[in-house]
Amino acid sequence: MYKTTGFISFLFRRVSGVALVLYLFMHIWVIGAANGGAEAFNARMAVLQAPLFRILEVALLTAVIYHGFDGIRLLIVHWFRVTEYRQSLFYAMFVLFVLVSIVGGVPLLLFALEGN
Amino acid sequence: MRVFIMQRLTAVALVLFLTLHMIVVHYPPGHLDFSRVIERLANPIWKGIDILFLLAVLIHALAGAYAVLMDVERVTPYKRALIGGSIILGVVAFVYGAMTILAFDPSALLAVN
Amino acid sequence: MANHEPTQKATIRVQRFNPDVDPKPYLATFEIDITGDTTILDALELIKGTLDGSLTFRRSCRHAICGSCAMNVNGRNMLVCNRRVNALLDRQGRVTIRPLPYLPIIKDLVVDRSSFWEQYLRVKPWLIPPATNGGPMTGEYHVLPEEVEALKMAETCIMCGACYSACQVVAMNKQYIGPHALLKAFLRVLDPRDAAPAERLANVGGEDGVFRCHTIFNCIDACPKGLDPTFAIETLRKLAQKRQAFEADRLERQKSL
Repeated sequence: MYKTTGFISFLFRRVSGVALVLYLFMHIWVIGAANGGAEAFNARMAVLQAPLFRILEVALLTAVIYHGFDGIRLLIVHWFRVTEYRQSLFYAMFVLFVLVSIVGGVPLLLFALEGN
Repeated sequence: MRVFIMQRLTAVALVLFLTLHMIVVHYPPGHLDFSRVIERLANPIWKGIDILFLLAVLIHALAGAYAVLMDVERVTPYKRALIGGSIILGVVAFVYGAMTILAFDPSALLAVN
Repeated sequence: MANHEPTQKATIRVQRFNPDVDPKPYLATFEIDITGDTTILDALELIKGTLDGSLTFRRSCRHAICGSCAMNVNGRNMLVCNRRVNALLDRQGRVTIRPLPYLPIIKDLVVDRSSFWEQYLRVKPWLIPPATNGGPMTGEYHVLPEEVEALKMAETCIMCGACYSACQVVAMNKQYIGPHALLKAFLRVLDPRDAAPAERLANVGGEDGVFRCHTIFNCIDACPKGLDPTFAIETLRKLAQKRQAFEADRLERQKSL
């Protein structure tokens, strides 16, 4: 395998993308409980309030942020000639990803750990 | 080519839609139930936004899955079946999802005793 | 040797595979003396000449213009004739040479480049000049300096295969046209003397073409001539979406060529 930043970005983007597609269809099904009324919806949502799911929610957040930020990086590559600074662009994107994940993830983690 | 263009267009739309969605649904973090969701979704404008969001995300997800599968050499001959299957899956998911969004009606709350 | 330069020891690991004898490829280790100037190609020649005559590899010009000696060194694709051994020694003092990845191995460091050449031919890499209505050309073409400048990053390709073999999309799917051929397509599409840009853009805008690239950039990293297939592909992507308009502009331009 060819270990370059370009390959790593592609790998993470693809893995997060596939995970998100699977999550999407599951999400549509889960929220679909609302078709059975408020009680049915609340019953299903109650299952998802468990700490495990709240922590998985943070993983979901990081997948979304990574995939989105790498996608924005691709849009930049499409519109500008980034050849000379292609590596710096990747590192900058990665740093932003870590920062935003922390800003977004910490409140969720705190809530998950303190319980309902 | 068209799949690629739709992929990129929905990507741009999703940057906005998804940011909005993550913020309004998950922050501040709290117990998620029907009454919390209905605060927002009772408003038909939010229903409209969510339905457009659903459309964009389904197109992007299926276009992405298509790209992933087409990269594999053994899958390339089945391009038409892949597109057909994606469209069917997309339509079913969209109809079901849109119905679900519309199901967030305040009257459903009143029905719970 | 009349050379009085101090020598140092280097460990060269080379992937060997003789399909008549070996069940699968393996790494062979050689110890040689090198100087500050020894290139990887020099090292391979030294090994073949004095240690193991059966070592098989492609090489010709030994000054980075023929494109024969592209190989995978320490995990990266490069030409071996213009890279010094002592600049590539890893922390254990070794250089590891493997054949170009993702292509079938014929023997040792020689790979089967058939898919590389098939994809190259697929883009019609020759210039398609404007029709002269059966008669001879009446004068030279007048191409503007800025038009020449726009092609600079695609002209000096030596067809070495380093980019093609480094591409992860090629690794997964040999039907992908590939950075080398797309770079050549870019060279022809942007050439004001070429009369068929719409046909070329339709050709590379299909399922196996420019839209298959995932901007991994391995091609740029591998290219020994510093060329930019990714930029070529991005440009072709933009042009493929409006190819009729582009060809109309081209026909207009050719009136004053």
